[in-house]
Amino acid sequence: MLALGNDLLGDDAAGPLAARTLASRYRDRVAIVESGEAGLALLELIEGRRRVLILDSIRSGAFPPGTVREMAPESFRGVLAPSPHYAGLPEVLALGRRLGSEMPGELRVLSIEVEDPFTIREALSPAVASAMPRFVEAAAGILDDWLAASAGR
Amino acid sequence: MDTRRITVDPITRLEGHGKIDIFLDERGDVERAFFQVPELRGFEVFSVGRPAEDMPQITSRICGVCPTAHHMAATKALDALYSVEPTPTARKVRELVYNAFMLEDHALHVYVLGGPDFIVGPDAPPSLRNVSGVIAKVGADAGRRVISMRRRLRELIGRIGGKAIHPVLGLPGGVAKGVSPEDLPAFRALADEAVDFARFTLRVFRDLVLGNDAYLRMITAEAYTHRTYSMGMVDARNRVDFYDGDLRVVDPEGSEYAKFPAHRYLDFVAEHVEPWSYVKFCYLKPVGWKGFVDGRDSGVYSVAPMARLNASEGMATEEAQAAHDELYAALGPKPVHYTLANHWARVVEMVQAAERIRDLLADPEIAGADLRNLPTAVPRVGVGAVEAPRGTLFHHYETDGDGRIVRANLIVATQGNSARMAMGVEKAAKEMIRGGEVREGLLNRVEMAFRAYDPCHGCATHSLPGQVPLVLRILDRAGRVIDEIRR
Repeated sequence: MLALGNDLLGDDAAGPLAARTLASRYRDRVAIVESGEAGLALLELIEGRRRVLILDSIRSGAFPPGTVREMAPESFRGVLAPSPHYAGLPEVLALGRRLGSEMPGELRVLSIEVEDPFTIREALSPAVASAMPRFVEAAAGILDDWLAASAGR
Repeated sequence: MDTRRITVDPITRLEGHGKIDIFLDERGDVERAFFQVPELRGFEVFSVGRPAEDMPQITSRICGVCPTAHHMAATKALDALYSVEPTPTARKVRELVYNAFMLEDHALHVYVLGGPDFIVGPDAPPSLRNVSGVIAKVGADAGRRVISMRRRLRELIGRIGGKAIHPVLGLPGGVAKGVSPEDLPAFRALADEAVDFARFTLRVFRDLVLGNDAYLRMITAEAYTHRTYSMGMVDARNRVDFYDGDLRVVDPEGSEYAKFPAHRYLDFVAEHVEPWSYVKFCYLKPVGWKGFVDGRDSGVYSVAPMARLNASEGMATEEAQAAHDELYAALGPKPVHYTLANHWARVVEMVQAAERIRDLLADPEIAGADLRNLPTAVPRVGVGAVEAPRGTLFHHYETDGDGRIVRANLIVATQGNSARMAMGVEKAAKEMIRGGEVREGLLNRVEMAFRAYDPCHGCATHSLPGQVPLVLRILDRAGRVIDEIRR
C-alpha cells in the first residue's frame, strides 16, 4: 500500500493519515509505504511488488470534498507538465515495462477529493476529516480481497 | 477592444496550477501572456514558535522534489544563527551529500524532462515526447543505467543523511552522522561510476543534440533569448560552487555587477508582486523593477544552470571546465542568454557534481570522526543559501534568545527565474500566434520556454497527475470557447 501525500500540507495528508490508521491492522501482512514523492521515484517504490494499492488525495474540482473514488490507472493520462516530478502514472508504468522492471500485476488507485492541499498545516479540512473513515474502509476492503485471494491460492 | 483569450493548462491533478493565459488584441496578435503558478501558503505561520533546529527537517518535508536543497540551506542558516562553523569533516560530508543530490536531480531532468525536448526532438509526435520516447532513442541499457545511478546516489544520500526524501543530517556546526570508513570502498566505486555516467551523458548530449544543426538553430533562436543579469554561487576563485560561497551577479554583458555573502541578500534581492499571479517575481533591488523587460536597466535576473555558469569564471573541476569551455566555444562568448542552453549547462554541472563526489571521497578527511562544533552563541538572525538545482535558494530565520522562530522567510529558486519565465512564455506565444493564426506546436513551444528552467511549482506537488489534460482554449471576448486543442 503506497500512501502518497505530504503530512505538512493540510488535506494532502489524507493518504498518509489513512495508511497510519490501517497500519495496526495490516502491518504484518502488507508493506505500507508513505511518500511525498512523484514521477520516477514511484517506479522505485512499486517495482517488484505483486499488487499495489495507491492512496492519494486529488483535487479535480468535479466532486465535493470527501468524495472517495477508485480510479483506473489509465485515467491518468500522460501529461506534459512543467516538471519531471509530475511524470504520470501511465508513463511510470510504461517506462518500467520498457526497462524490463518487474511491474505489479495489479495496481489500484483509491482517491479522496480534497479541499486545500496548499496550506502548510497539520490538519484536514472538516469535509475531508469526516470522510476519512470511508476512505480507510474502502482501502481495507481492497486489501482484504487481495489477502483472501492470496490465502486461497 | 476585442480581446481573445487562450488558456494553456499543462496541468497536474491540481486544478488551477501552472496555467497560462494568452490574451490577443484586435488584430489577433498576442498582447500579453500570463504564466501563473500556485502559491504555497502558511510557511511563516507554521514556523513561528518552533525551535530553529527543527527547520532543516520541516523545510525539507515541505518539498518532495528538492528536500536536500531545503535541508542544506536551513542547516547553513542554523550555522549562521548560532555563529558556528561546521568542522572540516562535517563540511565535506555535507558537500558530498549535496553533490550527490545535484547529480541525481539533474540526471532526472536531462533524461526525463529535457529528454522530450532535446533527446527525442521538439518536433517529434506527442506520443513519443515522453520518457519512453527517450528510452527508444538512447536505448534500454542507457535507461536502466539512469534509473540505477539515480537509485544508488539516493542510497548514498540515505546511508549518510537518513532517508533521501527526509534527510536528518544537518545540525548547527556539523552533521549528525559521518561517513564510515567501511563504506568508503563501495562509495568510491560508485563515485567512479558517477563520473563515467556524467561523461556518458555529455556524449549523449553531444551526439544527439550538437550534431544536429536544427537543434543548434533552435537553441540560439531569438524566440528563446533574454538578455538579463545572471546570479550564481561561486567559490573564492569565482568558480561554480553548489554548496557554499558568495553570490555573484554579472550584468547582461558579463561584467561583475555585485558579489555578496548570503546574509546581505535583502540588499540585492527584492520581490515584485503582480495582481495576476501568486508568485513573487525576484529582481535586483539596486537596479529596480522596470517590468518584464531585458537589458541592463531592468532588474530581472536569472538563476539555475546557465546563469550559474554565466555568473562564474569557470568550473571547479577539470572535466567540467573542459565541458564548460566547449559550451561557450559553441554558443559564447559569456554570458550566454539562450534559455534552451540551460539543458546543456545542466549536463556540464552534472560533470562537476560527479567529479566533486569522487574528489571528496578520495580525501581521507571525509571519513573523519570530528563531526560537530557545538554552538554556544545566543541566536538571533541566520541566513543560509545554497544553489538548488533550480537556482539560488535562501533561508532566513530570526529567533528569540531561546532559539524559537519569530520570523522566517524563504526565497525559493524558481522565484529567481519567475520573471524570465513569464517573459519567455510571452515571447514564444508571440512567435507562434500572429493575426489570430495559431501555429502548429504552440503548446510545446510555449512549454519549452519554461521547461528549460526545470521550474518546481508548488514545492509540494506529488503524484496522480493528469486528471486535467493539457488544454489550450481560445475564447472570444464574451468568454465563448471558439477553439479548443487537447492532448
